[in-house]
Amino acid sequence: MQADKPDSHVVGTSVGRSDGVAKVVGTARYVDDLPKRPGELHGVTVRAPVARGTLRAVKFDPSFDWSDITVVQAADVPTNVVAVIAYDQPVLASTAINHAYEPIVLLACADRAKLARAKLAVHLDIDPLEPVLDIQTSLSDQNVVWSAPDGFGDKGTNVMKRYLITKGEADVDAEHARCARVVSGTYSTHQQEQLYIEPQGVVAWWDDDGAHVIGSIQCPYYVHKAFLKTFGLDAERIDISQAVTGGGFGGKEEYPSIIALHAALLAKKSGRPVRMIYDRAEDIEATTKRHPCECEVTTGCDADGTLRVLKMRVLMDAGAYVTLTPVVLSRGVLHAAGTYRWPTVQIEAIAVATNTPPNGAFRGFGAPQTIWAIERHMDAVAAYLGVDPMDLKRQNLLVEGDTTATGQVLRMSVSSTACLEGGLSAARYAERKRELDLENQARAQRGERKRLGIGASIFMHGAGFTGSGERMLKGKAALDLLPGGGLRIRTASTDIGQGTETVFRQIASDASGVPMEHIDFAVPSTKVCPDSGPTVASRTVMVVGSIVERCAREIGDAVKAEQARGGGSFAQAGDRLLTKGPVTVLRQYEPPDFVKWDDTTYKGDAYPCFAWMCDVAELEVDLDTFEVEVKRFHIAGDVGKAINPKMCLGQLEGGTLQAIGWALSEELVWRDGLIKNPRITNYIVPTALDAPPFETALVEAPFEFGPGGGAKGIGELPMDGGRRRSPPPSSTPPGSPCTTCRSPPSAFTPRAWAGRSANDNLPEGSQPRVDSTQAQRSAA
Amino acid sequence: MTIADLASVPFERAGDLASLCARVGELADSEQPFVLLAGGTDWMVEQELRKPFAAGAEPRVIDVSRLDKLREIRLEGNVLSIGAGVTYWEMRNSPEVRAHAPLLERMARDVGAIQIQARGTLGGNLATGSPAADGVAAVAAYDAILVVQSRRGVRRIPMSELQTGYKASTREGDEIFVAVEILLPGPDARWYWRKVGTRRAQAISKVALGGVARVEAGQVVRCGLGMASVAPVTALLPRTRELFLSTKLEKIGPVQLDKAVDSDISPIDDVRSTGEYRLHVAKSVVRDFARALGARV
Repeated sequence: MQADKPDSHVVGTSVGRSDGVAKVVGTARYVDDLPKRPGELHGVTVRAPVARGTLRAVKFDPSFDWSDITVVQAADVPTNVVAVIAYDQPVLASTAINHAYEPIVLLACADRAKLARAKLAVHLDIDPLEPVLDIQTSLSDQNVVWSAPDGFGDKGTNVMKRYLITKGEADVDAEHARCARVVSGTYSTHQQEQLYIEPQGVVAWWDDDGAHVIGSIQCPYYVHKAFLKTFGLDAERIDISQAVTGGGFGGKEEYPSIIALHAALLAKKSGRPVRMIYDRAEDIEATTKRHPCECEVTTGCDADGTLRVLKMRVLMDAGAYVTLTPVVLSRGVLHAAGTYRWPTVQIEAIAVATNTPPNGAFRGFGAPQTIWAIERHMDAVAAYLGVDPMDLKRQNLLVEGDTTATGQVLRMSVSSTACLEGGLSAARYAERKRELDLENQARAQRGERKRLGIGASIFMHGAGFTGSGERMLKGKAALDLLPGGGLRIRTASTDIGQGTETVFRQIASDASGVPMEHIDFAVPSTKVCPDSGPTVASRTVMVVGSIVERCAREIGDAVKAEQARGGGSFAQAGDRLLTKGPVTVLRQYEPPDFVKWDDTTYKGDAYPCFAWMCDVAELEVDLDTFEVEVKRFHIAGDVGKAINPKMCLGQLEGGTLQAIGWALSEELVWRDGLIKNPRITNYIVPTALDAPPFETALVEAPFEFGPGGGAKGIGELPMDGGRRRSPPPSSTPPGSPCTTCRSPPSAFTPRAWAGRSANDNLPEGSQPRVDSTQAQRSAA
Repeated sequence: MTIADLASVPFERAGDLASLCARVGELADSEQPFVLLAGGTDWMVEQELRKPFAAGAEPRVIDVSRLDKLREIRLEGNVLSIGAGVTYWEMRNSPEVRAHAPLLERMARDVGAIQIQARGTLGGNLATGSPAADGVAAVAAYDAILVVQSRRGVRRIPMSELQTGYKASTREGDEIFVAVEILLPGPDARWYWRKVGTRRAQAISKVALGGVARVEAGQVVRCGLGMASVAPVTALLPRTRELFLSTKLEKIGPVQLDKAVDSDISPIDDVRSTGEYRLHVAKSVVRDFARALGARV
């Protein structure tokens, strides 16, 4: 095997994806493609049909033949809790039913058709209780539906978590009184389903070594942690591996613990391997979604537009259990001030419990909700001041040396201006705005029924875990030297379609001098790979990639030193080292020293650095049907350093399309806490035909502690933008800004449209009040 | 259910139309549940949505996808006949359809995705009777005649007499859709197609309108309309059509037109849209059609 590295570098080049061919030709094996294990059973879940109630009894139809059905109920669960952050969620409900689709009974059988009939032969005897289904009802605490586990929430209320961020003057209301212009608004965002193309699924079995799970899993060590708690096993008796995974977007961050526990419970009781694969409807109904959010914003500025004070209240709907809500709320609140300089800040954030399935991780992790609110609000302030929104944003933009809402001084890798100016000039924002206005006038004269508009936003996303998170997490990665001068990367960072494997091999190649084709990527597994921390938070490349880089450099240097000593090729030198024993480097992440964070006051360096991005969208709206077509989309996104430029473009454009879908078409229809459209045919994600032509420019402001010459995390960044509501600012009719992110065409009717224009003709000097309930009332 | 799962469904295959009619007659007499499977694009979805069959109660499945007789597109004089087994993809690519019934070609482009177009058939859409079917709205605009056949012979049903309620029709239990016949409106006829969904592929209509008209000296002399997803059946908008046929285009006003649509349909709320939005869009697209004919509305 040849192993001497040619001079060329692979970092910075768009090498093909390591997993590409197998996925295109169909040889990649997703969990449902894995060969059947001997004696394998299928598993299914019997779920609660109501949002809240008391389970009196579970009855099994005596006329049904149960002889070959394995049944698991709450009493069969050793420790009936799903270990995530708080221990409030049962693996199977026993008495209290806290949300629709809550799992109650598990069934397994070799015959799938019989299993489907068995599910119908289980009868749940439930006394329904009044559920709480929205934020405001929950916040009123008239119906307390959640009991706080120790260390979480406010006892005797529905409040799960609170944060408070303050900066500058203590009395924000007095600051507002001193301002020449004060604008208030409420902005709400709705749920979003991740809609990874492969539904959740696992295979579980037990043997003398303990419990084994292979599945569609984003974070194998989360499942490992859940098994430690529920089964009380020793760590080495738990083996969790990732199968090829068809997307996650956060949806396979914490949820796989539940399906894996369920399959393992059935496998334990039956003594057979059990495969559980959700169908689409069950996946949409039962698994986590993006938290609905309401943001109340009041800002004050000088007459010239200089921002003075931000007061904000962020409310999130956690659903029935804590899951990852405290962390989602944290990221939401840390991004809530947007990319702007605020001398005085007061941001209060509250997450409340409702009787809906728990909301959880989703690309952006709380930030898309609050960034959308502040961006819409800045548009409202600009409209009030009579200036272009982007001029107002530019005037107040955070730049290097400025201080964020948490008091973080932006020391390095600050590309806010480069992204803003790059995006606006590539899109010819100012000229296009004028051109579109003229075109709209001409169309109006011709009696045409479509109008054009343009809008832009600027935003940032913190890379890696918040504050001291990485320091506490102690993420690890390992590299092994293989015979013949090859390397093997061992991390728990999964490739769920985003390209981890390819990028890690690129980084390791340049750092070690070993060609990419001689670098293996071990399947993430808790038996084989050290805990690198979860595959989340835009941390995989920037954090884990930097550990991989360090390990690769050390191994490469060791082999090259041996080569210098004893001669021969790189491969020969490596083999000489291997005769003395295995050559492995295991390293732990060391966060940059300057990162200082205080979790109690929520002050300090929230993130080591931020990635920045500017979106400019041109839209066409049909005045008759309210259909919106995104005609062009410009992106200027800062990735630090593009390890693989094509895959960076894929992340930025794919994430943007996901954000566009959230704004324009995706909407869960709820009735009494149940989802009425749990199918791809009626939960409308955009298709390739709906994707606008993207013009994407990668901006590179290297972060000196990132791998490959300064890569930053970008996985979540694009989800923070992409959502220009309809109608766009310069379209006709001009109106107050839309304040619900939800804008499917049917959200607009003539009456709703009229509602949106309520602030059109404000008397000079009056303060606009932007109220999202207005549009919703009209639409109802 | 996936196409791969289809392999696990026990089915019989009809050799020719006559033996199919005989077999269907036999099954109808015995009151055994059965299903004729062409592309399967509706049926496979239903298998996902339905409750599991009791053991032994599965319907008999008869594969009709290989009956060449059902897959013909023929032009005889000024009548275009499209076999019930013709797929939407074949319709898109048929020279006869493109030349003589361009509305059908245009509509077919909007059905599902290309994969669905390649399997889904016009006859399947007629048989399942979904009021959201784009294909049925489009053939309604041509005032199509539905040709059904049974062991008792061939019968022709005008579109206006086919649908009697949600997924209910005047087709008898032993009758099979074999073709759709269209009396061609002539090369100078106007046609209109507008599908309002929420995305540009894989969308089921919130509202769709097919319209065909001949205009002579400012007067509509032939008019057919078919609207999807606004009623329990494909809406033929009889009062709106009557307005077009009875009034010079220059005399048709927007209020009059909206009133006609109001009296033709009362759409409801469902998971895909609201009744209010549907009614608004229905009026808007009818106005758009009228403008295309030359009315000032």
